[in-house]
Amino acid sequence: MDTFLLSLIVLLAGGLFALLAFRQFNLMKAGYIALSIAGSIIGLSAIRAPLQQGITSTFSTTWLHIFSLSFSLDSLSAFFLIPIFTICPLATLYSFHYMDNTNKKSRVAANFFFLTLLTISMALVATADNIISFILVWEVMSLSSFFLVMHEYHKKDTRKAGYIYFIFTHVGAMFIFAAFSLAYSYTESFDFVSFATMPDNIKIIVFFLALVGFGSKAGIFPLHIWLPHAHPAAPSNVSAVMSGVMIKMGIYGIIRLYARLEATDLVYGEVILTLGIVSGILGVVYALGKHDLKKLLAYHSVENIGIILIGTGIGMIGIATDNMVMASFGFAGGLLHVLNHSIFKSLLFLGAGAVLQKTKIRHIDKLGGLIKSMPTTGKTFLIGSVSISGLPPFNGFVSEFLIYYGAFHGLSLGGSSFIFTIFAILSLAIIGGLAAACFSKVIGVVFLGEPRTKKAMNAPDPEFTMTLPMIILATACIVIGIFPQFFIMTAFQGLQSISTLHAVTTNEIITVADNLAFAARLLLVAFFLSLLLRKIFYLKKTVTSGPTWGCGFTQPSVKMQYTGTSYAMSIIDFFRPFVDIRTTYSGINRIFPGRTTYKTQVDDIAEKALMERIVSPILYLLAKLRWIQHGHIQLYIGYIIATIIVLLLFI
Amino acid sequence: MESFITFAIAALTAPLFPGIILKVKAFLAGKKGPPLFIKYFTVLKLLRKGSVYSTSTSFIFKLGPVVSFATALICLLFFPFADRAPIFSFHGDIIVIFYIMGIGRFFTVIAALDTGSPFEGMGAAREVFFSTLAEVTIFTTLILFYRLTGSLSFSEYFIGDNQICLLNASGALLLFVIVALFMVLLTENSRVPVDDPATHLELTMIHEVMILDHSGPDLALIELASFYKLFFYSAFITQIIYPFTHTSSAINGLIFYGILFGIYVSIGITESIMARCKMNLIPQFILTSFALVFFAAILTMGVLQ
Repeated sequence: MDTFLLSLIVLLAGGLFALLAFRQFNLMKAGYIALSIAGSIIGLSAIRAPLQQGITSTFSTTWLHIFSLSFSLDSLSAFFLIPIFTICPLATLYSFHYMDNTNKKSRVAANFFFLTLLTISMALVATADNIISFILVWEVMSLSSFFLVMHEYHKKDTRKAGYIYFIFTHVGAMFIFAAFSLAYSYTESFDFVSFATMPDNIKIIVFFLALVGFGSKAGIFPLHIWLPHAHPAAPSNVSAVMSGVMIKMGIYGIIRLYARLEATDLVYGEVILTLGIVSGILGVVYALGKHDLKKLLAYHSVENIGIILIGTGIGMIGIATDNMVMASFGFAGGLLHVLNHSIFKSLLFLGAGAVLQKTKIRHIDKLGGLIKSMPTTGKTFLIGSVSISGLPPFNGFVSEFLIYYGAFHGLSLGGSSFIFTIFAILSLAIIGGLAAACFSKVIGVVFLGEPRTKKAMNAPDPEFTMTLPMIILATACIVIGIFPQFFIMTAFQGLQSISTLHAVTTNEIITVADNLAFAARLLLVAFFLSLLLRKIFYLKKTVTSGPTWGCGFTQPSVKMQYTGTSYAMSIIDFFRPFVDIRTTYSGINRIFPGRTTYKTQVDDIAEKALMERIVSPILYLLAKLRWIQHGHIQLYIGYIIATIIVLLLFI
Repeated sequence: MESFITFAIAALTAPLFPGIILKVKAFLAGKKGPPLFIKYFTVLKLLRKGSVYSTSTSFIFKLGPVVSFATALICLLFFPFADRAPIFSFHGDIIVIFYIMGIGRFFTVIAALDTGSPFEGMGAAREVFFSTLAEVTIFTTLILFYRLTGSLSFSEYFIGDNQICLLNASGALLLFVIVALFMVLLTENSRVPVDDPATHLELTMIHEVMILDHSGPDLALIELASFYKLFFYSAFITQIIYPFTHTSSAINGLIFYGILFGIYVSIGITESIMARCKMNLIPQFILTSFALVFFAAILTMGVLQ
């Protein structure tokens, strides 16, 4: 625990250094990055023992004389600390050349400080061990990330995004407070350990109240609305941390609460699984429909949270039905996907940031051909895309395979669990196919073909501090894919904290891991042999080049390339009415038609429903009460006095 | 050793069978048709040639054929032919196999997008959409097979005590599977009524349009990969139809290739008597196959309890 606290102090020192030294811009950035990396390495060394030997260490202190703040570092916490301590320093390294606006030095320093604060608070959320400390650090996490989203507050869109995020995160926090206060009223203790003593029906209420809060942080459909607003508004290094790491704290909350409640009812698993299926499928469908690169990635976070929840749900159903193969592999797949998603999603956000910085274009249909001018960004983005599509031999497949493996072993169940398991497997298959569709779209439209606009031409690769984190993350995707044994074991070690789960024997885990490793390596060998075969076939052959075959058309232009919009349209159309497509077409109505326009827009039904069903009625109601706000200061003081009197009378 | 021999036979004979389809189609149309070994000649001819690359393409364009060839070959390595165990096999290999096919498709698709051609983009968009739908049918089939045998690998399905076979007790359910898998075979291998490999109009094609710009040995690799893929699906159906439990491997092998021949003939007949569907009817076609297997999978709830 001491090493862990030391790492947080080093991280905090980095953040404070950034605030103090912002006038020396490069020195500030270098010092901040060095301290962040040092702090994270210390942090990583601190989690070795709890993860591998299952040692739980604790730390507690009193606060305001009455509350005690206690933190404990067990294997589940340690597992969630891995992405925090690996992704955050890479994102800070990336910011050296990404945050290069010397006109706004203090703003950059503030951004660094809040990023540090976010990192520290996430680490503390993952270790908080009683209600008070959890709520405290949860709020610090929400607020620091709010300030990070508001980095470019001079833009109207950013302010709107920040506002939406603020509302969602605090309505979510309110539900968590409600859940915890209900729990406190039954257990009369702030400790999480006492949660298990609650009656079963209260456990269910506590869990689902908190689920709303954790779900809004994680981005579960339909509570995901802030994600596609906040991620495009935030700087890319922040999006990488928020999407790669912070939303996982919601998942951590769900798993931790489930473990603390020691609940074994079927309803937990079934609800989590259903939410996972809905988030997974609709997340990827909306991602297909969106053409802002960062918005698209934000919807993919919703999809991946769905996959993680499917794994978790399978695990919970396994525990409820005492099917431990299903439970172990479901949970382990979900946990490993947390790590995997943090790697490839931050890689993709960093890549998107590089594209954005060099071309200043967000809309994918205006890009094209970037892989020729930005080879490093293109190749790493390609690796990230294949990984996120869950294809072997990369890391996304490893975790999805574990979930499949768990789910298939749940098929021997009868009744409703069987039906739920069938839908889990089918939705994983659909999500996998659609994710591949979506990322072939992104790669194809952004990086391949010909540049569609002037701005997209000759955009160079970014500087090395930006490419290096991408290369490291892409390497991690490959390494986890080809050497999955260690990482699968780590995920299983993270599960030791769930006391209701009796994991399968190590031998079975190792067999599965070895088989996966074998398949991945076989694929690589076959690939390289085929590459060699191709080389042999091309020995002494004449190879020439010419324009793309235009099917007889002699005047092709770059505008004729297939766009991302048309690429995805038939798939999105298939998912109506869950997706709202608006089309405006001016039509052709004269013999010599003038300028015609055609525009389609995909609207999020959750957002629309929220606006129509909740926001509008509330606004209407509140408008009726507007007379309270009249601007007379003396009457406001009167309100305060009246409130105090009423409170004194009743309490 | 025998596994390697059966694999080698499969890999070598795979290009023969599409020739049979052409023969059947020609016969039904009252024509003479190309020679039976036409696909071998095509591949050899392509291998002798050089290539022309579009100036729009990058290295991805050259990776496409390599990846699709490598993945198609791996699928055959895990597949048991007749009564011979596959070269590699483990509990869970079916999931890996269908995902490996997925990566082959992914690279074919992005290689098509690499050319910047609108037609190839169109083909790619259709390919990813229809294959996603077909994947649902395949995974429902796997669910059904798990219910029937509790296994997750091809060798467990078809070799050993608890075989999946039309002639066994639960054979009635497998009738649905065979029909559905045949429909998936037509979809995944771009045959009529989903796609028409013989059409002359790029606008209406799916797979053929994606490989318009490939030439020479690259195209040969793609062709070989598509032969292997078709062979894989046909062999999958063959294994379900008949249990290869005869004592003599040679007889089993003969029966195997006999049934396989029958499946290719039926593909040829389907292509001759049907027109290709309109593009917007294809999802319905694929979902029909899903409905069939899903029905069978739900039936296991009652049948096996």
